[in-house]
Amino acid sequence: MGLTFDSVNTLPRDTELIIKNARIIDPVQGKDVKEDILIRDGVIQKIGKLKTEGMAESLQQGIGDNKKSSHFAGKELLKPLISENKNFIKLEAEGLIVCPSFLDLHVHLREPGNEDEEDIMSGIQAAIHGGVSGLCCMPNTVPPADNECYLKYICSVAKEQDFNIFPVASMTKKLEGTEITDFGILKENGAIALSDDGCCVQDSRLMYEIMKYAAQFDLLLILHEEDYSFSRFGLMHEGFYSSKLGLDGISSLSEILMVQRDIELAKRTKAKIHFTHISAKESVELIKNAKDDGIAVTCDVTPHHLSFDDSELESYDALFKVNPPLRSSADREALEKGVLEDVIDIIASDHAPHLEEEKNTTIKNAASGVTGLETIFAASFTRLCCKSNFSLNKLIDILSVRPRKILGLNLPSIKPGEKAEITIIEQDRRKLINSDFFSSKSINSAFMNKELQGFISGTINGRKIRINS
Amino acid sequence: MKEKALILNEADIDRILKRIAHEILEKNKGSKNLVFIGIRKRGVPLAERIAKNIRELEGTDIDTGKLDITFYRDDVAKRVTPDVEITDIPFAIDGKDVILVDDVLFTGRTIRASLDAITDFGRPRTIQLVVLIDRGHRELPIRADYVGKNIPTSLNESIEVSLIETDDKDSVKIYAED
Amino acid sequence: MLSVKNLIDIDDLSIRDVEIIMENADTFNEVLERDLKKVPVLRGKTIINMFFEPSTRTRISFEIAAKRLSADIINFTSSTSSMKKGESVVDTIKTIKSMIADLLIIRHSDSGVVNFISRYIDLPIINAGDGKHQHPTQALLDLYTIKKSFGNFRGLSVAITGDILNSRVARSDILLFKKMGMDVSVVSAPMLLPEDISHYGVRIHGCIDDVIKDTDVLYMLRMQFERQDRKYYPSIKEYNRFLELDEKRLNKMKKNSLVMHPGPVNRGIEISESVMNLESSMLEKIKVNEQVRNGVAVRMALIYLILTKE
Repeated sequence: MGLTFDSVNTLPRDTELIIKNARIIDPVQGKDVKEDILIRDGVIQKIGKLKTEGMAESLQQGIGDNKKSSHFAGKELLKPLISENKNFIKLEAEGLIVCPSFLDLHVHLREPGNEDEEDIMSGIQAAIHGGVSGLCCMPNTVPPADNECYLKYICSVAKEQDFNIFPVASMTKKLEGTEITDFGILKENGAIALSDDGCCVQDSRLMYEIMKYAAQFDLLLILHEEDYSFSRFGLMHEGFYSSKLGLDGISSLSEILMVQRDIELAKRTKAKIHFTHISAKESVELIKNAKDDGIAVTCDVTPHHLSFDDSELESYDALFKVNPPLRSSADREALEKGVLEDVIDIIASDHAPHLEEEKNTTIKNAASGVTGLETIFAASFTRLCCKSNFSLNKLIDILSVRPRKILGLNLPSIKPGEKAEITIIEQDRRKLINSDFFSSKSINSAFMNKELQGFISGTINGRKIRINS
Repeated sequence: MKEKALILNEADIDRILKRIAHEILEKNKGSKNLVFIGIRKRGVPLAERIAKNIRELEGTDIDTGKLDITFYRDDVAKRVTPDVEITDIPFAIDGKDVILVDDVLFTGRTIRASLDAITDFGRPRTIQLVVLIDRGHRELPIRADYVGKNIPTSLNESIEVSLIETDDKDSVKIYAED
Repeated sequence: MLSVKNLIDIDDLSIRDVEIIMENADTFNEVLERDLKKVPVLRGKTIINMFFEPSTRTRISFEIAAKRLSADIINFTSSTSSMKKGESVVDTIKTIKSMIADLLIIRHSDSGVVNFISRYIDLPIINAGDGKHQHPTQALLDLYTIKKSFGNFRGLSVAITGDILNSRVARSDILLFKKMGMDVSVVSAPMLLPEDISHYGVRIHGCIDDVIKDTDVLYMLRMQFERQDRKYYPSIKEYNRFLELDEKRLNKMKKNSLVMHPGPVNRGIEISESVMNLESSMLEKIKVNEQVRNGVAVRMALIYLILTKE
């Protein structure tokens, strides 16, 4: 059995995988202990102090001994040792953290329609690289996911790959914001939530009907908030920098007004709503008040909105063109504070792969969006835990547990009998992000050429295992 | 560089410029058609002084102009941005006898550039050249009509002309490399 | 010698750079007064005038400037419609790279395109106006026009009127005038002002009458209807009431004050028909044509300084 670095390996049946000396952080059980984990056939068997002394003698070679060894010579931490009879692997995880894998609530897989940017298979690779074991894929594909055929296809691929992909269906036909989709049928065929992501229903009455109908099926609405009358022609946040750079602005009112509208509608309709990639400080304030009033509202922020502000556009680098736009430093600070104070529930990447030529161009011509699946932990950890005083345990809760709570999924826990969805983190590891880092088909990362701290050393997803160099 | 010799002092320069004024008048049979153009920077005061001498001799007014030849040099792109000064030729030169004045005649390239520049301003009847010092080593077929003093030099020597208007004293010195 | 090899953003120039350009513009102004308005200083240099946006005034000004310096200038014009795709800009850049040129002059309808191109090209670049971002050579010629009238800048008060939001001229002018120590106000309406304009350290007025008696320079922007994506300004009638220079207002201006305009003037909008037709001594205040003429001298100075830089 060959085990290779930096790609997904599938372990043969009956192989025993033991993770030694890991610090296990499991927010659901409230556990933070140093123990060993035994996994067989993708399922956690035992947790505790496991004896490996007898087995250790038969362990002869690490994968560091194969041809690529020189590349990883300096990498000693997560050292897999494989036994002679090849059905036993030991991962030495002294100094590393093991936690339930993350769920990314906002991902664009680009299949069907733009498979040159990403497809389901490459998206899964990227997710595993990022320590993510579940993702919601957005419906703005070509054609859009406004019918059950698409959902059936996604679900079948996900099942075949034994990877949790939760498709989100559109709430209006062709995401045009004019006609409502078949919510009931979509739900029966696997839609975990509804969203017109990338678009926003401008017609308030229609939004009201959508909320009422979604409430009937207890379907979550994931809302991209944008009042087009404020964002039309806009290329970046409207403020000092848009004035200076002569680029048309998108006022934060574009988001604020819609957040306000939809909170009112949710209050009336009792729909469950989730604001995705919020960007403005006033949105945080509105959501805080809505939560205080007991309205069923949740929200997420992206790592790039937490990390950057509109000053990044000063070099006219279209990489930083995103929608909603990177806003002012005051907005960025409010978002960070929102995460700190639990107003913002979770972090989602809004992973939006684009081709080189769509991003390496002028601001006006460039596509909006950056990739994020593979850096969701490193970027969040660098911003929140290294630069601010945020606890790692809470970050794991935000990335692993709370998204599943919002979606009504089983909560992930590291205990016997559970499917192994385990992410191994090296929190002191620093890396300069370059194009070699990525497993995604696209490399339009906002963190390109930036140094981040806290990287995924390995991900175990059922029988799939990936060890990162 | 080491000072080797003082070649001309204030009185020498004064005498030379008077002599040249006479030579110009003689050759041109009077001052009627003359205009003077000094090449920046030290040709300008020399031109003024000769013109003044002629005014005193003839009792007539003489036009003088200033010419900056930076834009006409053949080595602009090879040099750091030079100090360009304003060219000031506030009179017509068509049909005139233009007396072009410079301090030192060396390779001839400055004069070549000056001739180009002057012809951009019009078509004089003649252009005549006055230099205070001719130190030889011509690289172009150019000669002066009126020479203050011929000073044969070697290439590792240099000539320093100082004038009251630009350098607070009148002198011509020769320097040699150490 | 300039501290920069490009001129993309007016703020890249130091005060000394600006002074050097002003001094050299005087020299070239003299050349422009000659019968033979041409010097051979840039013989053998090739300049490409790349205009991705229709423009005659600026393009011709650069072309004349280059020709009077004896440089070879090649006009590359392309309508914006055929350059809509981002790829085309990159492709065009590759084409230029393979041409042997010494200087690029670029005008584009999108902000930041010149910055974008400069990342890929090692040649000196002059920004001839990009979208709503900047028009640095216009700012330099405006400054030169002011210098010729007043001799200095420090403490002069300038009022810029009209559509600041959509104006690259205003952005460059404000930055340059402030840099040179002038006191700048804007006279406009909220919908014609960019967000956070106060960051520039300018005073804001709503009517030309607020500044007319005290200002040394009244700088009137062209009301650019073609750049207005949103028609939020109510009407010409309203514009005339608050922002137009008419004879009555002209007569209130200080002695020795100036009226400037980047041109072409919309008669009856920014400046009244009757003021444009004046033949009295008051007309001396209006420097519109002098600005155009100074534009050639300033651009000659800039091209010369950039191309003779080591």
